[in-house]
Amino acid sequence: MDKRILFLIAVVLFSGIAVISGYPQEEMEFLDNSVFDKPVRTPSVFRHEEHNETAAIEECNECHHIYENGKKMDDESSEDQRCSDCHDKKDSGNKLALRKAFHKNCKGCHIQQNKGPVMCGECHRR
Amino acid sequence: MAEPAKKVEEKKVIDEGLEKGTDRLTPDRIEKVIKQVLEGESGARLKAYVDTCIHCGLCSEACHYYLSHDNDPRWSPVGKVKQTLWEMLKKKGRVSADFIRTTAEIASTECNLCKRCAMYCPFGIDIAYLMLIVRRICHRLGVTPLYIQDTAHSHSVTMNQMWVKGDEWPDTLQWQEEEAQAEIPTLRIPLEKEGADIMYSVIGPGPKFQAQLIYQAAVIMNIAGLDWTMPATPGWDNSDMAMFTGDNEIMGRIKRTHFETAARLKVKRIVMGECGHAFRSIQDVGNRWLGWRMPPIPIAHAIEFYYELLKEGKIRVAKKYAETVTFQDPCNVVRGAGLHEKARDVVNQICENFIEMHPNREHNYCCCAGGGVINCGPPYKLKRMKSNRIKAEQLFAVKSRGAKTLIAPCHNCHSGLEDINHHYELGMDIKFLGDILYEVMEKPES
Amino acid sequence: MNSLYNFVSGPLAWMAFIIFFGGCLFRIISILALVHKKEKFIYTYMSWKYSFRSIMHWIIPFATVNWRKHPVLTLVTFAFHICLIITPIFLLSHIILWDESWNVSWWSLPDSLVQVMTLIVIGSCVFFLIRRLIAPEVQYVTSASDYIILAIVAAPFITGFMAYYQWFGYQFFTILHIFSGEVMLVAIPFTRLSHMLFSPFTRAYMGSEFGGVRHARDW
Repeated sequence: MDKRILFLIAVVLFSGIAVISGYPQEEMEFLDNSVFDKPVRTPSVFRHEEHNETAAIEECNECHHIYENGKKMDDESSEDQRCSDCHDKKDSGNKLALRKAFHKNCKGCHIQQNKGPVMCGECHRR
Repeated sequence: MAEPAKKVEEKKVIDEGLEKGTDRLTPDRIEKVIKQVLEGESGARLKAYVDTCIHCGLCSEACHYYLSHDNDPRWSPVGKVKQTLWEMLKKKGRVSADFIRTTAEIASTECNLCKRCAMYCPFGIDIAYLMLIVRRICHRLGVTPLYIQDTAHSHSVTMNQMWVKGDEWPDTLQWQEEEAQAEIPTLRIPLEKEGADIMYSVIGPGPKFQAQLIYQAAVIMNIAGLDWTMPATPGWDNSDMAMFTGDNEIMGRIKRTHFETAARLKVKRIVMGECGHAFRSIQDVGNRWLGWRMPPIPIAHAIEFYYELLKEGKIRVAKKYAETVTFQDPCNVVRGAGLHEKARDVVNQICENFIEMHPNREHNYCCCAGGGVINCGPPYKLKRMKSNRIKAEQLFAVKSRGAKTLIAPCHNCHSGLEDINHHYELGMDIKFLGDILYEVMEKPES
Repeated sequence: MNSLYNFVSGPLAWMAFIIFFGGCLFRIISILALVHKKEKFIYTYMSWKYSFRSIMHWIIPFATVNWRKHPVLTLVTFAFHICLIITPIFLLSHIILWDESWNVSWWSLPDSLVQVMTLIVIGSCVFFLIRRLIAPEVQYVTSASDYIILAIVAAPFITGFMAYYQWFGYQFFTILHIFSGEVMLVAIPFTRLSHMLFSPFTRAYMGSEFGGVRHARDW
């Protein structure tokens, strides 16, 4: 068989696998999950700069929000805090539990925007 | 052991009831009747049973037909439902006349309605009930085996199973009374005694060719000093073959006549001989058709009756029966009425040595005669024999452990086992409980 | 993929749950209505005592003669049904999703145990398949629908297992997993999987007849 065709097939196969299995490990960055005692899943994949660039996010408080009386404050943000400073491990009052907060914050937006990872294993890769 | 003693050629059964009935069928009539029965007459049970069955095959080993045919699945309970009811449901009644013929033969002669499978289905699906629905369809199509249809006709005309005419009945009783008076001069068979404690009822074949059973019963009643009577009118026969042909209307007429006869005589209860299907008809099926949750008049089967007589000391045993005996648990009074422990009590009181056959009690194998199968007559006898090889094996095993006499307190069991006894040359002595009780009881010096 | 995921995990999931619960309710109510209309006498024979006597015998492994006659099948079928029901309800991932959607949550089983239970379900399905194919008494009464039902039950567990391990085609298996789970939910009330709904009733009725009228065991 023509070597070029073989090469082409190989390229197509490889890119297919690359698309399916995502980006290579070494480029990955993860969310810090040390606050969880015994995390059941792998830490979530997250590349801050790349994410904000792709998602065209200008304001920090898109994600690093501050809520007061159940309303998101437009001109305040919380990037100097850890998520776990506000969110406990369990729901308390209006405040979501930490895990739920992470999920809602990331996945909630991804579902709304119809972009970005939404399935468990897309963030929590093995 | 597995082989019958004599090889007999099996021929295709010719049954005029089925052939002629099939000839009269038209596709429209078949469809109409099937729809009327499945959609009109049947209800939630049929629907739940059909929808719930997961086709697991776990009912198979309950069935003596299946076991006797080397586990051939076509004989399993669900296999028989598949060949009959499922097909009718699938084709919405558009089945052929030939199909109805085969179906009638399967439903009438390849299932004894013994309900052993109901104990093996994890969901408790009542396959015997499904088979009765199939028989009902065949009945309404006029495709029922000739011999059993004849008994249903007899029921319809005479209110007894054996075409016993009005005067033959009291004549037979009088004859047995006279016979028994040779043994006990004061013995009476009281006819039409209003307000007696007990109305004693028998099955049609009793006066026809088992008159000695009436004799024995009269002796037992007299020695026990009971206030009893028998009716001189139709209504004396407690048997009911219409229940097994799917002819519910006639079944209802028979049972009504029986109950009304007891009511007319103002008796406290009905005591019946050693018959299983008659007990089923009075205690479980016929009464329901008439709208009685339980029978309107208390019923006692011979087993309970003997149990009572022995317990109350009304009958005393002179010398126990010496031969080693074993006991056939009939479906209708054991799986159907839980009389197995009382029966064992009676057996132990009247016999020296009793050994169990296995399986026993509710799990005993069917005799392959009940449910109207033996009543379908000679054309199916060979099939009946081949289809209960497992019973022959069970009996052979208990015989090899020493049992000489087989007690079968049910007419169908008795006759069916007698056939098996001959066909497989088992050489056992088959008796009713009453035979032995009569033999061993204390009687006044004569 | 996101749109597809949003669809199967959103509107389709709602539909599946509504059809499942509504369908189950509908089937049970309509069968009881049919009893009421045509076989009212059944009520008069029902007995709590004998119903439970019968059900208890049949939901305990080896408590009945027929369970004892088929020890392997008994072990498999009990393990299968227990895992089939427990696994999806007490799986952490499911609980998280329900928590995020409906704010309800309960305790979960460790993932390692759930893996084993999933494998038990899949293995049992293989066992049932082989039994259907080779045991004559089962094969004889088997039709295409029996294989379809088996596939419907096995599919969510196989795809769930594949999705959990993320070996390949993660998104594909996840979406298929959700979808097949929904297919199973919808199928329960409207196929012979409805034995889940009806078997307690048929068992109870047989138990009542055996206890109350027949004075005999039905196990």
